[in-house]
Amino acid sequence: MSNTPDIFTIFFYILTAGLPATLALTALGLLLGFFLGLTLALMRVYGGIELNWLASGYEKLLRGIPLLVLIFIFTFGIPGLFWYLEPLERPIGGVVLALALRSAAYQSQIFRGAILSVHPGQMEAARALGMSRFQSFRHIVFPQALRLSVPGWSNEYAVVIKDSSFAYAVGIIEMTKAALRISANFPEIWALSMGVVAILYFIFTFPVTKLIGERQTKKLKDLGMGGG
Amino acid sequence: MEKKYEKVLKVVDVWKSYEDLEVLKGISFELGEQEVKVIFGPSGSGKSTLLRCINMLSPPDKGEIFLSGQSLMASEVDLNAMRAKIGMVFQHFNLFAHLKAIDNVSIGLRRVKGLSKEEAHIKALEALRRVKMAEWANHYPAQLSGGQQQRVGIARALSMEPTLILFDEPTSALDPELIGEVLQVMLDIAKAGTTMVVVTHEMGFARAVASEMIFIDKGVIIERGTPKHFSTSPKSERVKHFLKQIDILYGRHEELLELPDEDD
Amino acid sequence: MILQELPELVDDILRVLGFWDQLLIGLAKTMWLYMWALLIGFFLGLLLAILRQYGGRVLSRISTGYIELMRGTPLLAQLFLFYFLPYSINSLLRAEGLPYIPIGGWAFYTTTEIFGRSLTFVFIDHITLIGILTLGLNSAAYQAEYFRGSIMSVGTGQLEAAQSLGMSRRKGIFHVILPQALRRVIPAWSNEAAYLPKYTVVVFYIGVTELFAKAHHIISETFLTLAAYIVVAVIFLVIITLISKGLDIVHKRTAIPGL
Repeated sequence: MSNTPDIFTIFFYILTAGLPATLALTALGLLLGFFLGLTLALMRVYGGIELNWLASGYEKLLRGIPLLVLIFIFTFGIPGLFWYLEPLERPIGGVVLALALRSAAYQSQIFRGAILSVHPGQMEAARALGMSRFQSFRHIVFPQALRLSVPGWSNEYAVVIKDSSFAYAVGIIEMTKAALRISANFPEIWALSMGVVAILYFIFTFPVTKLIGERQTKKLKDLGMGGG
Repeated sequence: MEKKYEKVLKVVDVWKSYEDLEVLKGISFELGEQEVKVIFGPSGSGKSTLLRCINMLSPPDKGEIFLSGQSLMASEVDLNAMRAKIGMVFQHFNLFAHLKAIDNVSIGLRRVKGLSKEEAHIKALEALRRVKMAEWANHYPAQLSGGQQQRVGIARALSMEPTLILFDEPTSALDPELIGEVLQVMLDIAKAGTTMVVVTHEMGFARAVASEMIFIDKGVIIERGTPKHFSTSPKSERVKHFLKQIDILYGRHEELLELPDEDD
Repeated sequence: MILQELPELVDDILRVLGFWDQLLIGLAKTMWLYMWALLIGFFLGLLLAILRQYGGRVLSRISTGYIELMRGTPLLAQLFLFYFLPYSINSLLRAEGLPYIPIGGWAFYTTTEIFGRSLTFVFIDHITLIGILTLGLNSAAYQAEYFRGSIMSVGTGQLEAAQSLGMSRRKGIFHVILPQALRRVIPAWSNEAAYLPKYTVVVFYIGVTELFAKAHHIISETFLTLAAYIVVAVIFLVIITLISKGLDIVHKRTAIPGL
């Protein structure tokens, strides 16, 4: 029992060995999901019947399949995918793709909701000044929609960082895998290491959703901007 | 038959604060059977708070409330049972949205007074008849106009056969053309002998049935008297100013606007 | 590249479907887990929401703490925590020479025959139990938030009116607030209820043979990786869509004007 890692060692190891990958997966997944999600939202709000239907179909598809299945499909199901990456890096590609595609479906809903809750009078006023649809969107609706998206978006961040834990089984050393590694030979700290990693995830989710999410919601209410 | 020597309601030196703000500062008054007391004054003067102190929804910090001689502040009092004896009609109606009108009126009879479903139904229907809403018994609140909803609210309070009924600005949230029907119902039940405390600025109603009017501003009683007193010779400047504002509200503002003469 | 392989893929999928008995058991297990998790989550979640809103300072804080903790940590970490706990405790007990808790080795199951194939369904065993508990406790936290939102949307005026009639707070909550809150929560709750089956796959990591695990079983026999995953993905999609549409219908049938 003498060389059982203590709680600080566990904590430190998970942080240094696992956190970088966790953050990288989360950041990439969210970023790619952002661009795709925004595109889908625009398709649904301004796109006309066919585009709306397409985007809506995408959303339903990606929301109806478990993330774990997606991850396995892209990491093991399609061998030729990510041919341009080193074999060791390919799982990262698979996980990021799965996270991004899934996140896009949810971010699309967030942005669509935000765009729709910008007061229609805003668009009217912009057009009345002579702006084109695109200008009106870019200068008036979009900035407001972005602010309105913040609470939903901070929630999505929390979801993605937690989901990144599913990547532990495909060969990436992120936080959950790190926790398993350090405690591997010491059954007495198996549960403890899971507790520690859970707290770590909590540290990265709770402050964000609490502060950014709720503060922004309050700020928006005070400004009287759309929303809600 | 015993004679009631006790007043129905005695409010004695009530004080109430929210956070640092003193909302009520030493309010006292009494109410006898079949009396109608009208409380009026500027917004924020603490009138709604006063009503909620009376039925202990928000108990006073200092002072006493006596219902038929019994103190409501004593610790052994069953507040729920006491509240069943005090009816309340709300500014925003607060009808139970998931229940039809008839059920809104009967739920108190069933759940608090323990009447059977049939008995409760009969009494509820009676109450709805008094407020002229019997045909709407099976409608949901969302299907009723504001005036209709408020009348159901009055029926709900009436059906409990309370010792007195508190009215918290019952017509303030109503569209102008709907105020009349509610005031009419209130007049009817006042004339039938219901003991009422009404917070309102409907001076016409007050003049018709109030036994006493009390003007409250910033948590203090400024002046009290009969309706006649207030319409002929109000003493305080604040009261006079307020009454003028009410006049403007009801369109009697020829002086203020300096409307041109017909001949110009 | 993908287009050329399409006919081959269809073939593979058909071969995978040949394992319909395994898929059926897996699906049954998934639905079994889902049902219990949803039930536990519903009652516990409702309780948590009521405590948080009306519980008084201590209970309210405990409830909030539970909700934030469960929602702020990954489902997988929670699952592993509960799964490892007995083992870790045993390890410590053993070191002290104390008797330890027996883990596993028991199961309640049933075997039946359909179309000539023998199917065995395990109702409950050690890992299924851990899985159901974790999923239920987790779902409760998320459902609690939905319930809290709908309780708050009913408004304080309703409780005031109930109390003004003489109802105690408890009666007011039970007869006036809850009926309205439960009807209002249906759209948001349907969301959680429809998508919960997705999350049951996490128990694959502790060895429960639900649908996703069955996909791996099929892969180990046929090496048809993509086809197996696609079949499983589609099954989930269909189930979720059916549940979603079903709840939609329930919502329309129980609508009260104005709620």
